[in-house]
Amino acid sequence: MTQTNVKEKKFADLYFGQEKFLFPENIRANSVKLFLETDIPNNKTENWRKFNSKPIFDHNYKLGKKLNFDMSVFDTLSFFEPESNRIVLTNGYYDESASEKKTEDIFIGSLKNAEKKHKEIIKQHLKTKKNKNPDYFSVLNDAFVKDGAFIYVPDNVKLEHPIYIMHFIQSDNGNIFAQNRNLIIAGKNASFKVIHTFHSLSSDFSFNNTVTDIFLDDDAQTEYYLFEGEGNTAAHVSNVNISSKKGSSFKSNVITFCGSVVRNNFHAEFFGEHAEIDLKGVYMPDKEQQVNNFIDISHSEPNCKSNQLFKGLIDNKAVSVFTGKVFVARDAQKTDSAQSNQNLLLTDYARAHSRPQLEIYADDVACAHGSTTGQLDKEALFYMKTRGISEKKAKTMLMNAFLKDVTAHISEGSYRDYVNFLINNRLKGQHPESLCNVKVCPSC
Amino acid sequence: MASVLAGRDLFKVTGGKVDFKGKNLLNLNPEERSREGIFLAFQYPVEIPGVSITNFMRAAVDEQRKHKGLDPMKASEFLRYMKEKKALVELDAKLEGRAVNEGFSGGEKKKNEVFQMAMLEPDLAILDETDSGLDIDALKVVANGVNKLKTKDNATIVITHYQRLLDYIVPDIIHVLYNGRIVKTGGRELALDLEKYGYDEIKKEADKQF
Repeated sequence: MTQTNVKEKKFADLYFGQEKFLFPENIRANSVKLFLETDIPNNKTENWRKFNSKPIFDHNYKLGKKLNFDMSVFDTLSFFEPESNRIVLTNGYYDESASEKKTEDIFIGSLKNAEKKHKEIIKQHLKTKKNKNPDYFSVLNDAFVKDGAFIYVPDNVKLEHPIYIMHFIQSDNGNIFAQNRNLIIAGKNASFKVIHTFHSLSSDFSFNNTVTDIFLDDDAQTEYYLFEGEGNTAAHVSNVNISSKKGSSFKSNVITFCGSVVRNNFHAEFFGEHAEIDLKGVYMPDKEQQVNNFIDISHSEPNCKSNQLFKGLIDNKAVSVFTGKVFVARDAQKTDSAQSNQNLLLTDYARAHSRPQLEIYADDVACAHGSTTGQLDKEALFYMKTRGISEKKAKTMLMNAFLKDVTAHISEGSYRDYVNFLINNRLKGQHPESLCNVKVCPSC
Repeated sequence: MASVLAGRDLFKVTGGKVDFKGKNLLNLNPEERSREGIFLAFQYPVEIPGVSITNFMRAAVDEQRKHKGLDPMKASEFLRYMKEKKALVELDAKLEGRAVNEGFSGGEKKKNEVFQMAMLEPDLAILDETDSGLDIDALKVVANGVNKLKTKDNATIVITHYQRLLDYIVPDIIHVLYNGRIVKTGGRELALDLEKYGYDEIKKEADKQF
């Protein structure tokens, strides 16, 4: 057996002798087989170019256990509103006592538990769905995942407050590997927001491999906020799959702040006309952090709109990669797609890779894309200094202004304030390793 | 010259010193020069997307006050102060929420420079070709602002190629600069002479002399 094979099997071995997986054995068997055949993505894997998986495979892990969750953690997360619905998972397991359902006409909870009660709807969305983008990590999830969050907002239900999905990694001793599979279903004309956050309560290394499938039925409106707040001794691979039907609107905003290696995959596809998908993101890697945003939007229907805006501040020796793929099928006329990736490099060693990729087969479309990578505007800095503003303050103001067009779109006030608090402190010189600590609390 | 005084690092000063209120300006960086009371109105004001004029001025005024040992202004006090200065230089109220100079017309940019000058109350203001690219109405507003800001304790250097601006900002002293030297100095009547006879005579005389 070669060295690579040992690495590839590594995560499968952790599950030896385990039971109670999310997917039934007959489906799992295929996934396990596929997993064992799939290579770890390397620099030659087109969709994963520039992704360095070494930090993930350099560690040995054990599976995280279900632990007693300390509810006082909520007090330190200032965006958290107690009157909202919440699903709490620790090390990938549903925590019933920490989760709470506040609204009558929605269904939230553990995906594993929901299988009995919502058999039809889950079958419709989960079991019949083949993995269209079978990369190493998503297949690993298919094969061995045990639980995750389930949200079903039925037709015409509109929620005022957000629904939280909060993941906590907590080690009792040693490095933790955790997986979760989340399913979010928006019924016809439903409207709600999800705030999906990841935190780490311990300082051992952890790797969280997560898949979230989101389905929007006709005219549904969903806002999805993803926050990567696991500490700097964490690796995180997230796969978000979005399916949008006629007239629906999906807006997401991903903030990547912490983590030694973070990969955010967004696969989005339209299944009806006049739908809109808007993906935004901010990343601020420092030191040796690596942030990788991969987006793949498939315009298979006409008259749909997609937008991507990703902005990064890259400090020290950090590396960022942005890949934005847009596919427009021959029949997807009147597609309106825009993409922008902007990076500011704060040091001579920081690196940003930006890879816009458009594949267009229709002839009546508007597809704009732009990518800029540079330093802070020296003319603007000089101008500010001639008004007496110190260099440090001027830089902070310019960086804040740079990120503002992304963060200003966060419609949930308390969460926006939390993000801005972290950004402001980061720009004032605090490093992610201190800010990613859950105990950092703006309001207490 | 204006850029050297304000401290732009594009230029290297090879000799001499700049004495300002007993300090050598060349030893100070741009922000320190500003806090000492130097103000440069840019020929081409820079656009700063995402930074509102209010926030920009707030930061600048706070730093100036800190230098003088004063506490930052309260928000309400600051807004009142800003309103007062805006009226003085006839700056359009709708501009204040906008990002600094972003999408401003040439005239708006120059008005914004004079507005900042009013806010910061410098001892020495340098207006670098402030008349370039201005129509006559904007020119009047800018000139008016400069005139109103004149006190017995401050000074303004206006750098221009044209007499036109001097119809509105009446100078006390005129220096003619040629090849990096002051070749002639006079009162306000010098400008009228120059307008009439051109620079040729002065140039010839200067070439002979140096």
